[in-house]
Amino acid sequence: MQVPYNYLDQQFADVEDYFQDLRKLVATGEFTLGPFVEAFEKKFAAYVGAKHAIGTNTGTGALILSLKAVGVGPGKEVITVANTFIATVGAIVAAGGRPVFVDCDDRCQIDVSAIEGVITKNTAAILPVHWAGSPPDMDKILEIANRRGIPVVEDACQAVGAKINGRCAGTFGKTGTFSMHPIKPLNVWGDGGIIVTDDDKIAKFLRLYRNHGMVDRDHIEIWGVNDRLQPFQAVVGSRVLDTVEGLIEKRIHNAGLLDEGLKGLEAMISRPRRLAGYREVYQLYLVTTKRRDEFVRFLISRGIEAKVHYPIPIHLQNAARNLGYKRGDFPVCERQADEVVTLPAHQYISGEQIAYTLSVIREFYAG
Amino acid sequence: MSHDAVPYTALSAEAALVKPELMRAVEKVLDSGRYILGPECAEFEREFAGYCGVGFAAGVANGTDALHLVLRGLGLRAGDEVITVPNSFIASASAVALAGARPVFIDIGDDGNMDPAKIEAAISRRTRAIMPVHLTGRPAKMKEILAITRRHGLFVLEDAAQAIGATLDGRRMGSWGDAACFSLHPLKNLHAFGDAGIVTTNNPEVQARLVQSRNHGLANREQCDFWSFNSRLDEIQAAMLRVQLRHLDAWTDRRRTLALRYNELLRPYVGVPDEGPGERCVFQTYIVRAKRRDELKHYLGKNGVETLIHYATPIHLQPAARDLGYVAKDFPKTMEYVGEILTLPLYHTLTHAQQDRVVECIASFYK
Repeated sequence: MQVPYNYLDQQFADVEDYFQDLRKLVATGEFTLGPFVEAFEKKFAAYVGAKHAIGTNTGTGALILSLKAVGVGPGKEVITVANTFIATVGAIVAAGGRPVFVDCDDRCQIDVSAIEGVITKNTAAILPVHWAGSPPDMDKILEIANRRGIPVVEDACQAVGAKINGRCAGTFGKTGTFSMHPIKPLNVWGDGGIIVTDDDKIAKFLRLYRNHGMVDRDHIEIWGVNDRLQPFQAVVGSRVLDTVEGLIEKRIHNAGLLDEGLKGLEAMISRPRRLAGYREVYQLYLVTTKRRDEFVRFLISRGIEAKVHYPIPIHLQNAARNLGYKRGDFPVCERQADEVVTLPAHQYISGEQIAYTLSVIREFYAG
Repeated sequence: MSHDAVPYTALSAEAALVKPELMRAVEKVLDSGRYILGPECAEFEREFAGYCGVGFAAGVANGTDALHLVLRGLGLRAGDEVITVPNSFIASASAVALAGARPVFIDIGDDGNMDPAKIEAAISRRTRAIMPVHLTGRPAKMKEILAITRRHGLFVLEDAAQAIGATLDGRRMGSWGDAACFSLHPLKNLHAFGDAGIVTTNNPEVQARLVQSRNHGLANREQCDFWSFNSRLDEIQAAMLRVQLRHLDAWTDRRRTLALRYNELLRPYVGVPDEGPGERCVFQTYIVRAKRRDELKHYLGKNGVETLIHYATPIHLQPAARDLGYVAKDFPKTMEYVGEILTLPLYHTLTHAQQDRVVECIASFYK
């Protein structure tokens, strides 16, 4: 049996409805921002429960723009984690700031007890990541941030639909950022990103900055960039958004089956701790295990496309040499990088495929 | 608008001409399940490089990012300078600011492009690059510019955003400098259906850097060598661009024929954009120089002829440029130019009847 990681050929097997929508777009010639992007922004804002949504070209762009919006620039520091996709940290540098890392905890999320220790007078933002689609302890992060007067930008790129006690990821900070990259549950046919905020001033800045700083065609208020959500992708995203809750529920269901099936194997393979009231959306279904590389090879040899997100923590990347970190600085994060595995649990994985995955895992540990 | 109105663009009519081809291209990408940095982007890059007569091309998210990424690759430091013109779209200058350097402006010549005679005086110890713009699809004076930059060892970046297919002495724009940047925005002669951009170069190091910098600085899925962000050309856009590229020469020929026809018909009334020696212009915008311009624009608008001004406010007078310390009279040629220019409707689906209507209106205005 094959248990593939990629499912896009299945998700868009029937594209006629999308093409209907796209024909409407092509008939208008509105290929830069305009009504299709605005309609999607409104719909997305309503979905997560935010006042404004601002579409960007990528999730990375959403992060860079958000950091600029809260005042990150040269000489400023941004606190985040080293177990994330490289874009979280690349965005800090692109915004002109310096990344400051803290370790993660047994949920693979930012260790909130470590944040205060690295705040300096130059700290311009805290950038918690909803890693793997699981919210970090936002209440505690906000308590620290509010007390110290530091804005929070949420990297919710992997966490559309994730919630804490009913409140959506992305709506806790000054801004929340989302990716709509093809391998996200809310996906488009290429790159796409979106920012949400309740702050009118920030929304105004973001709309200016993403479009060359243009107030209108002839007036440029600030130096800006071109970082716009494409209308084409807004049309696709809008239709996927109608189905996203179903996709997420299926992922949650599959994760539940894996959680259940892995019970009893805790000595060999462990799952991140789950918290009551947290709705995790399982962008990545993570487990950790000793003999990781052997484990992954074994699964792949049996047709199960296991992945590693990611084997090199960011503070040990070549790009991070200038930051002065070394192995040992973040022991939990480094141990996870050595032990972490992602199992296929997406919406197109069936109960049989999960049962098969579990049987292969048991076989590995029995052998 | 009345039936004899002449709108400024006809994007949906143009798209309709090749819609079946476009839809097939889109469908092929969807069926492949590969939406980012796949075979369509690679093929488009190969075809585009061949079209421009260079060794390499790298697709990116938009023309602004193309400039930004090439300039970042030069390792500019704060205080470094890049020489360009104030008579351009804002992105020419903002890309310099984004890359951390200072835009230094020089005036234009009678052709509306960089005046090579002004270059030497603007070169300082901090000058790192020079960015001529082929505005309106008219080649800048590259032979004179290169003679100077070679002496000073400066990097030459062509802003060819508007100049796909234009040639100087039979050689394509985009093949003259160390690198060249193209926008593939919907209003460009070769365009995507949303934002897109591409860089051409003969330098394998420039190409290798771009291929990495457009994708987070990643060398592979796991290793990040330098900080960067995400600026990729979507597969879907690349596939549609390949369709457009197949028709580009025919469309450009048609556009040129119409532009040269405008030149002859309008010569009695306004300054027309005649081609200089060795130049083959592609008329991305068709710009005339008109006395009583604002009155004329108003009159044309009243009569259903939609016109624009590219660009009414030169970059050095934008609020965003305040900190650069320029004043209006620093660039007298530019100021004279922006007071007179008017962009008339020109697209390959424009009919002779529509064109005659524009000419008639202009003639009756000056009567």
